Amino acid sequence: MKLIVKYNRANAIATVIVLLLSAICYYFFIRAVLVHQLDKNVKVEEREITNYAKENNQLPEPTNYKDEQEEFLPATDAKTLRTFSTINIFNKQQDENVSYRQLQFGVNAGNKKYKIVIRRSLEETEDLIQLILTISLAIALILLVSLFLINRFLLSKLWKPFNSTLHQIKKFNLSGKEKIDLEDSDINEFKELNDAVNIMTNQVSQDYEEIKNFTENASHEIQTPLAIIKSKLELLSQSENLKEEQMDTIQSIYETTNRLSKLNQSLILLTKIENRQFTENDEVDISDITSKHLNNFEELITAKQINLSKDIKADVKLIINEDLAQILIVNLITNAIKHNYDDGCIQITLTTQSLNIFNTGIPLISNPSALFERFKKDKVTSDSLGLGLSIVKKICDRYNFDIKYSYADSIHATTINF
Amino acid sequence: MKILIIEDEKELSKSIATYLKSEDYLCEVANTFHSALAKTEQYDYDCILLDITLPGGSGLEILKELKANKKMDGVLIISAKNSLDDKVKGLTLGADDYLPKPFHLSELSARIAAIIRRKKFDGNHLVKFNCISIDTQAKIVTIYNKHLELTKKEYELLLYFVSNKKKVISKNAIAEHLWGDGMEGNNDFIYTHIKNLRKKLFDAGQIDYIKSIYGMGYKFSDI
Repeated sequence: MKLIVKYNRANAIATVIVLLLSAICYYFFIRAVLVHQLDKNVKVEEREITNYAKENNQLPEPTNYKDEQEEFLPATDAKTLRTFSTINIFNKQQDENVSYRQLQFGVNAGNKKYKIVIRRSLEETEDLIQLILTISLAIALILLVSLFLINRFLLSKLWKPFNSTLHQIKKFNLSGKEKIDLEDSDINEFKELNDAVNIMTNQVSQDYEEIKNFTENASHEIQTPLAIIKSKLELLSQSENLKEEQMDTIQSIYETTNRLSKLNQSLILLTKIENRQFTENDEVDISDITSKHLNNFEELITAKQINLSKDIKADVKLIINEDLAQILIVNLITNAIKHNYDDGCIQITLTTQSLNIFNTGIPLISNPSALFERFKKDKVTSDSLGLGLSIVKKICDRYNFDIKYSYADSIHATTINF
Repeated sequence: MKILIIEDEKELSKSIATYLKSEDYLCEVANTFHSALAKTEQYDYDCILLDITLPGGSGLEILKELKANKKMDGVLIISAKNSLDDKVKGLTLGADDYLPKPFHLSELSARIAAIIRRKKFDGNHLVKFNCISIDTQAKIVTIYNKHLELTKKEYELLLYFVSNKKKVISKNAIAEHLWGDGMEGNNDFIYTHIKNLRKKLFDAGQIDYIKSIYGMGYKFSDI
């Protein structure tokens, strides 16, 4: 849920509750005040009647209006209790109950006891209250709506720097060269956030750069000792009179050294692709490269009695780094040959849109998509590093080529859509 | 044949020198930028092995100096920095070849032989081993003046063997030489080619020069 929605919801609920409660209080308060005022008027009337009765020894003419009624009744009891009350009287004309405020009291006039009832209509009061309440509710509603709108516009404006920062963070690419560029804000909290983000990204970029350099240097430095080991082993293997046991040992060290060196080179290559260090992109003739490398492996394919069918469209050109293009094609072709079996087949189709390689091969045990991960190999063979396909994948990712791999009916299918 | 090895790693230059000396090359070693510069200015070499990162300067500077002085020495760059930049730079500056470290000594030796052959002006592109004669320009092999029909890879294999005669060559080195990276470890592929080459040489009346060395690889030798 968006912050603004959550805030508005809480705000609206609180406002409505407060407004309702205050409306109720307001209603009772105003009513009390108005009734009190009415009672005062009634009391004035009472005093007038009492005074009139005292002075004239008789009662005045009872007034009888719609909203002001007086009744003088001969009292039956010894003393009439003075009481205020609110009553409803059905009005036949209006076909509705009308509320009245009523005061009854006893008066002596001309040796006679009377019970006086004064009624004042509450209708006007109720109308007034209703009007006041309607107006206040209307004001409340307007307030609510305007609050909502203000919140909405103000909040989205206030949060703009935050959203911009968030967008920048999302866009931030560690291996990209560009630095994060945050919008200035005059709000302290966002300023603080921006500062923190700046410090963090700078730190991360710096660390990343250092690690990158370290990896690169370390990898390069490893090659020299490896070269020495390799050369010494090669010299050692020239010695006469080596025992079989010793030859085995030398060969095993030699092969392991080779593997280590290849592993190292592949990792450097992967890191370089990831870091986008292959910057020179030219128009490269993929048809040419594919044909050239197929040609290079021709004898190997014949030796394995693999049936090769190729359909290579001429002049398929891509904007790509030439070395990466070579690596991509060679890796795919060598894979198709290496994991093939005798009397198998390879079918290569190159069009301007895609490169398709179908080849027979040993069934896949693991999940096809996992093959693109580093060090994933389907068989435990020491001659494969398990980096070939992840290099292929990285190159494809680098140039936004879509690569798909599937295995069905003992056919491995690799498709790259340019 | 005179070779100058410009390489700051003493152990590596020693190995290279030992291997090349056994192939009847005269080897000199320079371990620093300045000694290398002094040697290249003073003498001519058939081939210079040039490391890029040297104490005192860059190997590329030496290469520039050689080209500025119109020296005709063949130059083979051997660099631990397998960076393509260095390769492109080196080759545009006029180096003859580029070999990233770590390399097989047999590959190094074959590359040196190829550079020296190319640098020769007397038009002699013939490499001989007993009665086998390889014309490296026409890529033709003749035995007793009779043409020997070889496939492309068999030809490369034979030339590689002859460039490293009497040396044990590992299967990995052969695989890498024939197909580049990615095919090492598939020894049955090499075996097929070796078998075919052996048969063709035998049919042409040669003794079996290709000796299998237990566990390690092959050796091309007439003894």
